[in-house]
Amino acid sequence: MSNYLLAWIVLIPFVSSVILGISYLYSIKVKKISNKFFTFLALLAPMSSFVLGVGFFFGLKNGVSEYLYEPYTWLGVDNYIINMGFLGDKLSIFMVLFITFIGSMIHIYAAGYMKEDEGYGKFFAYFNLFVASMLLLVLANSPLIMFIGWEGVGLCSYLLIGFYFSEPLNVVAGNKAFIANRVGDFGFLVGILFLFVYVGKLGFSYGALEEYVGIVPNHILVIIGVSLFIGAMGKSAQIPLYVWLPDAMAGPTPVSALIHAATMVTAGVYMVARFHFIYDLIPSVGVFIAYIGAFSALYAAIIAMRQTDIKKILAYSTISQLGYMFIAVGLGAYSSGLFHVFTHAFFKALLFMGAGAIIIALHHEQNIFKMGGLRKRLPLIYIVMLVANLAISGIPPFAGFFSKDEILLKAYEHQEYLIYGIGLFTAALTSYYMFRFFFVTFEGKNYISKNLEPISASMKIPLVILAIGATFSGFVGLPEVFGGTNMIHQWLSNWSVDSTHVENFKEIVLMGISVAAGLIGIAVAYVKFFKYDFNQDIKESGIIYNKFYIDELIDFLIIRRVRQISVFVSVVVDDGIIDKTVMLLSSGFINLGRRVGRMQSANTRAYAFFMLIGLSSFSLYLIFKLG
Amino acid sequence: MEVSFMSYILLAIILFSMGIIGVISRKNIFIVYMSLELMLNSINLMLVTLSKHFGNMDGQIMAMMVIAIAAAEAAIFLSLIVALYKLKHSINIDDYNTLKQKGTL
Amino acid sequence: MIDTIFLILASFALFGAGCMIMLSNTVHSALGFIVTILALAGLYALLDASFLFMVQIIVYAGAIIALLLFVIMFLNIQQSHAPKEPSKYLFMVVSAIIMMPVDYLLFKAFYTITDIKNFSVTPKDFGDVKMLGGELFRNWLLPFEAISLLLLVALIGAVVMARKKERA
Repeated sequence: MSNYLLAWIVLIPFVSSVILGISYLYSIKVKKISNKFFTFLALLAPMSSFVLGVGFFFGLKNGVSEYLYEPYTWLGVDNYIINMGFLGDKLSIFMVLFITFIGSMIHIYAAGYMKEDEGYGKFFAYFNLFVASMLLLVLANSPLIMFIGWEGVGLCSYLLIGFYFSEPLNVVAGNKAFIANRVGDFGFLVGILFLFVYVGKLGFSYGALEEYVGIVPNHILVIIGVSLFIGAMGKSAQIPLYVWLPDAMAGPTPVSALIHAATMVTAGVYMVARFHFIYDLIPSVGVFIAYIGAFSALYAAIIAMRQTDIKKILAYSTISQLGYMFIAVGLGAYSSGLFHVFTHAFFKALLFMGAGAIIIALHHEQNIFKMGGLRKRLPLIYIVMLVANLAISGIPPFAGFFSKDEILLKAYEHQEYLIYGIGLFTAALTSYYMFRFFFVTFEGKNYISKNLEPISASMKIPLVILAIGATFSGFVGLPEVFGGTNMIHQWLSNWSVDSTHVENFKEIVLMGISVAAGLIGIAVAYVKFFKYDFNQDIKESGIIYNKFYIDELIDFLIIRRVRQISVFVSVVVDDGIIDKTVMLLSSGFINLGRRVGRMQSANTRAYAFFMLIGLSSFSLYLIFKLG
Repeated sequence: MEVSFMSYILLAIILFSMGIIGVISRKNIFIVYMSLELMLNSINLMLVTLSKHFGNMDGQIMAMMVIAIAAAEAAIFLSLIVALYKLKHSINIDDYNTLKQKGTL
Repeated sequence: MIDTIFLILASFALFGAGCMIMLSNTVHSALGFIVTILALAGLYALLDASFLFMVQIIVYAGAIIALLLFVIMFLNIQQSHAPKEPSKYLFMVVSAIIMMPVDYLLFKAFYTITDIKNFSVTPKDFGDVKMLGGELFRNWLLPFEAISLLLLVALIGAVVMARKKERA
């Protein structure tokens, strides 16, 4: 594979996005273009990128250590030179592979999901821009280039969450995502700036940074590590910047799938793994990250137990799963975290797509307590959702089991027993709330049967493919105890820290414990919800249902204060002081102008008189000055 | 009392002032014109006086030039007066205010 | 002797100028101006500028003022055409007062220009045609030619401007 093709992995979706955008404008302004054209263009892009990614994958597999393509110098000020660069190493190609693969699946699905939407072309233009930004983020060879992708992802999430912008609520959700991300971006930027100040002189690519990071004093490294992690919090929705993610459900369901599975939320995990050379030097920050992850996992799982909106449940489960990933990367087990990113992408995309299919079938009904009994009527969806739920609950042999169990194992190995306990407990909660949703949706009694909308084939095919993925993708990282070779660890050997291993027997016992936790959750859910009676009137309320009132707290503590300051500035400072001053000045000048204007009377003698006065004053000045 | 060159200068200054006073205080365009000519003449007197004082011919040459220009000016000025008079039927300099903006200001 | 002549000529010049700026009749003013011009011509003669003396009389008195009077008569300006100027004396006093510092400065400047208050002794032919002409064509040829060009332009311009407009 030639190096320059790396750039094309990013450029193809980007160019496709631009063409789609222009054609969409043409389509609405001039002449209607058929959706087939849009579909073709949109699907071509991630698939081509995927093919390129596979090519690079085999290149790396055959012994190339990394691909580096630096087409031109982006910024060059004196000694500070930043090249536009694309780095294809094992980590980034790994990310590229699943982003483009899951992305392609979601594209196919979206083609069915969005087929009757007015903004079909626009949707795919944003979609491909999203994929392009994410790929740029992943393939960048310096933090600054990464930041371009980082911001691009934020922008696209804003555009897509607010896609149905005629609803004010959706616009608010888009704003919320954007603003919460800005807070994180600020942290990321601060981290980059610190890095730049301390080692920027010696080059700013990852390679150079890794080489020279040792010259940064330790306390500065801590600041950098924490700042970068704040960026990751924003993108990957960890406490306390998670608030945007549940609201992001306002967008179309494929958008949720894309954000939650393939792009955006995994950016934070990727970033921490990418900066592993920093985090390796500051293990205390790593533990902090792991604790944030653990608490986010627990917290989101608790909230998810009481939600009624199908997409909200999935959103909180994403936060929860991201928490697991951060536990892993925080403890230095980057490959384990990325393994979970990988499996999570499959089953979470599957969950969202399945949920989207249910929503479509039920005429845009999102409340799970108004569904029920769908098992016989939507058998395909039932099967794939069962697979996905088993995967996320960590039941072997589905994908989630291997990755989640590995993370818990790592926590145990690092003797972070509190994190291990939280993780285990969260695993039980996860299977509980997932199967609560599952049983209420597909089983139950006394449900109201509604007419179902047919689900198109383009929505079904990716579901099947991803279901297969969600079943078998875990075997990629089959642990050694089962005779596997754990290919993920081998592939990402630079990113896997092999610490003390527990003996095989203990490992199997631990696995048994986590499987038991999952099964307990399922059992509780089965008892409570398998024969759920839809006639009973349920009113979900309480502190958990209301998400611990965090939104209200933020509203009270920050948003209202900021608004008060804004009103004060607007009314008192702006209207009262600045505007008045300006108006006074302007009216003063107008009056002055009027008065001076009278001098221009077109009277020659008056002009001569003014001239004489000037001459006379000048003479007076000279007389007194010169004596 | 010996007549020094300051006497001539003083006379020239007074004539110059009278020219300016005439320009400012009179409305009759012909008198304004003659006042301008008076100023030119007073400057000529200064030039000639200084020429005599320093024993240098350049002052007189300059005066010659001024007279020549004054002659040219006279031709132009008087033709302008003729044109203006045809337009406005007035020799009042205050009536020549076509450039004045008619309006609120 | 010269002092007396100077005083007489100076008073004529001032009288003429005064008449010119004060009289309301345009023709009377013009006559007053002629007096000033003639007195100035005499002063030129006192200052050894014999050629300028002639030029002053011929060009100013003979041509410019004659042309002026001709225009006045050509336009047939009556006393009734002359603008009413009720406050001209007030204007004169005011502008005379404003003029004071300028006069003072000028006077002071000339006073300090040289210590010698007497005229230098000039050669006998100072200021006559021969010397002036020689000076003019030796050292001032280019300005002289420029002036002649200017006169030509003025001639054409005057004709163009005073011409009767055939098409409005």
